[in-house]
Amino acid sequence: MYIGLFDALPLLRDPMLLVVISLFSFLPVIFIFVFADQASAVQSLIGAIVLTFSFTGLFASQSVYFNKQWFRFQDMLVASKVSPASYAVGLSLSGLVVALPGVVVALVLLLLSGGSSPAGIVLLLATSFLLWIGLVFVGFAIGATTKNARRANSIPQVLSIALGFLPPVYYPLSRLPAIAQPIAMLIPTTHAAQLAKYYFGLISIPASEVVIGWAYLLGFAALMGFIASRRAHWVDP
Amino acid sequence: MEVVRVEGLGKTYPGGTKALEDVSFSIDKGEIFCLLGRNGAGKTTLLRILATQLKPTVGRASVLGHDVLAEPQAIRPHIAVVPQEARPQMLLSPYDHILYFCLIRGQSRAQARERTQKVMEDLGLWEHRDKLASDLSGGLRQRLIIAMAMVADPEVLFLDEPTIGLDPLGRRSVWSMLRALTKKGATILLTTHYLDEAEVLADHLLIVDKGRTAFLGTVDEAKGDTGVGMRVIVEPTAGDGSTAPEILEPKSAEEILAIVERGLREKRKVTFKPASLEEAFIKIVGGSIEVENT
Repeated sequence: MYIGLFDALPLLRDPMLLVVISLFSFLPVIFIFVFADQASAVQSLIGAIVLTFSFTGLFASQSVYFNKQWFRFQDMLVASKVSPASYAVGLSLSGLVVALPGVVVALVLLLLSGGSSPAGIVLLLATSFLLWIGLVFVGFAIGATTKNARRANSIPQVLSIALGFLPPVYYPLSRLPAIAQPIAMLIPTTHAAQLAKYYFGLISIPASEVVIGWAYLLGFAALMGFIASRRAHWVDP
Repeated sequence: MEVVRVEGLGKTYPGGTKALEDVSFSIDKGEIFCLLGRNGAGKTTLLRILATQLKPTVGRASVLGHDVLAEPQAIRPHIAVVPQEARPQMLLSPYDHILYFCLIRGQSRAQARERTQKVMEDLGLWEHRDKLASDLSGGLRQRLIIAMAMVADPEVLFLDEPTIGLDPLGRRSVWSMLRALTKKGATILLTTHYLDEAEVLADHLLIVDKGRTAFLGTVDEAKGDTGVGMRVIVEPTAGDGSTAPEILEPKSAEEILAIVERGLREKRKVTFKPASLEEAFIKIVGGSIEVENT
């Protein structure tokens, strides 16, 4: 826990930066709220929560890179009784700590908008959490293999566009042309957003698609976990 | 008591680069052991293997009686590392860094606060406790990194070029701190390419060249083995450019006395230059580190 807090401390100490970071994925919701109807705004709010978890997972790459290559704190902690598992969990959670205020605000807005049930919120958080696990592994794989600070910053930003802003997360899948929809279903954030919107009753999908969605997210997390375990090392080979 | 033992250690990186080959030595408790060598000689590789951060490919190494490959968990609670070019989080204070490293290492909040104050006072950081790391000088930042390593009160401390980039006063401050630690029983292994640093600090030194042991012994042995002795420069007094300076290497007290008498008689300036580790190093590895780095 202290590893995560130490990593997040510079952001937690700077409220302005904290507001910007924790609300970053909610900015499109404002535009959708202004230019579309309330149902679209609620759908985008759910998408924003899913993406907040995604981005914090993906941006674990920066924590991994900077603690290993820049500050060299990882080397200092290897030579201590800190275990690799607690180090990995700590760094992963640091992003969540920073993003938590934004998620709480979004959940409150969802409750105020009506139509949300406790079960819906739990399932929304569950899908987001499963996606987060998969993307934390992606973040670890990127952070452990990146050798310069510029890449450590740019790769997760490019991926966040590909995973967050392009696929149908803020907007409905049906808005995409029919030819693009199967491509969108290759992206894990699409599955998480579809499931979350389904549990809030905003879209209807067949039961088979629900099962496929969960299986996809589980498989994605397992595959990324395998890749991260091959790339990220506590003791260098 | 032997704290570190290395036997036939070798390391070839996955890409095929051979960084270390057949290195053997031991370090006793309370010693400062310096690893010398040019950049890329294998110093950091050796230090990282002993600090359980890197796996060796051949040979054996043990720290505090435990094998670095088989029992790293038994070693880690008793050691600390100051990595090369480590730097603090610029937006945090020295107090934050040290307190959190205490907490991360498993101390309770009360213990952590007490230990933080003690370490900061010992290292002269207490008066800077609330400044941002970005406002500290290079020397203070380096001292902060060393303080973070010290929170665990390690029995063995590994420092990888701890004084790189520090001004002369900052370097001396680190040296006196390291000496104070050994007086309390800590054993220190440090890498450096500053030969004056090794000359001042090292109880024993290992010169590594291209991954192999080029010399192992004391500073005096390094000078003795390479035949490096005191040099005497006899030159004309200021303003007299008629005669070129002579560089002499006296072998006995009588020869030294004769040179001094000659200097007085001929009214020439006589300068004594003690044997330096740098000269011994040049003879051992065939080049000056400072020249290599420029």
